[in-house]
Amino acid sequence: MTSHTDAIDARDIANLRHVRDLFAHADPAPGDLAERVKFAITVHALHAEVAELMDSALLTTRGAETEVEPTPTESVTFAAASVSLMVSVAPMSTEESDDRVRVDGWVTAPGARVEAVTNEGSSSVVSDANGRFVLDDLPHGPVHFVVTDPANQDVRPVITPTIQV
Amino acid sequence: MTHIPTAPDGIGTRAGRAFAAYRDGERERLSELVDLVTPVLWNAARSQGAAPAVCEDAIQTAFLQLVDRCGSIQEPAAVLGWLVVVVKREVWRLGRGARREVGVEEVPEAPAQQLDPEAQSILSERQRVLWRHVSTLSPRCQELLRVIAFADRPDYAAIAESLGMPVGSIGPTRGRCLQKLRTTLGSDPGWAV
Repeated sequence: MTSHTDAIDARDIANLRHVRDLFAHADPAPGDLAERVKFAITVHALHAEVAELMDSALLTTRGAETEVEPTPTESVTFAAASVSLMVSVAPMSTEESDDRVRVDGWVTAPGARVEAVTNEGSSSVVSDANGRFVLDDLPHGPVHFVVTDPANQDVRPVITPTIQV
Repeated sequence: MTHIPTAPDGIGTRAGRAFAAYRDGERERLSELVDLVTPVLWNAARSQGAAPAVCEDAIQTAFLQLVDRCGSIQEPAAVLGWLVVVVKREVWRLGRGARREVGVEEVPEAPAQQLDPEAQSILSERQRVLWRHVSTLSPRCQELLRVIAFADRPDYAAIAESLGMPVGSIGPTRGRCLQKLRTTLGSDPGWAV
């Protein structure tokens, strides 16, 4: 006989594993829930303005159905009240890095800091006098961009929705 | 000296470490915290019987509160329990559409767990048997077992407490809920392997 005052044993752990499998199978957490929570935290923490996705040729925003296949990517435009951002994504062609991507972008603000946040962390560049910038050696997967004005800390940052590259 | 292997840390401990590091300025550690605890929080939320969208909102709100109140949280190590309490409260608050804050003591008990017919239809034969047995437990036991099943043994007691179960209801001893599950499964020849 076992009693409720006994220590938890291997059988109990196995039973709980079955319970876990049951609910994980029948009522799974949405696959992108954690990513959406992180995005919400970032927007909140930055007091950021969220840019709207205007149009995209083949790029997909992150959603429940996006785990289908890597989509061939072209370009996408984001717009916020203060700034617009266009990015186009291409595979890097060098032999050792063909699983990496390069982002060519244009932002309606010269000298803006553009940060790409990926699964690996973030990398940032400053746009040139024409608003152009290049971010290379990024991993495939989800990415969102944060645009800030290094010359003026009082301007709210602009954050884009996450896209798949 | 001989190396004495220690029990692996539960997700509660790892979450506590990530949160403490975040408070100390390692901002990127928050992402680790979110990844670690989201499955537990999802099940804590869903076990209250609310719709998926409400559960997602509750989880998001709980994390935003955590970020806002980051400095005033007394025990960073207990962050998992803190989040479970807030998620559960938020589910009830959002679910009833009330604007006012609901105190912990006002949070009603979870209903019996439900799986919609579509979810039931995808269960394996063995899962169906398990579901039938789980359904015979009290709603409180169903809720407790569902949520701790997504955590690790060292976390059981803290999670039970944050769900409003009496101290000592589970971990390190088996407790009545795990005992009941064990007994009902053990009595079913269809379950025994």
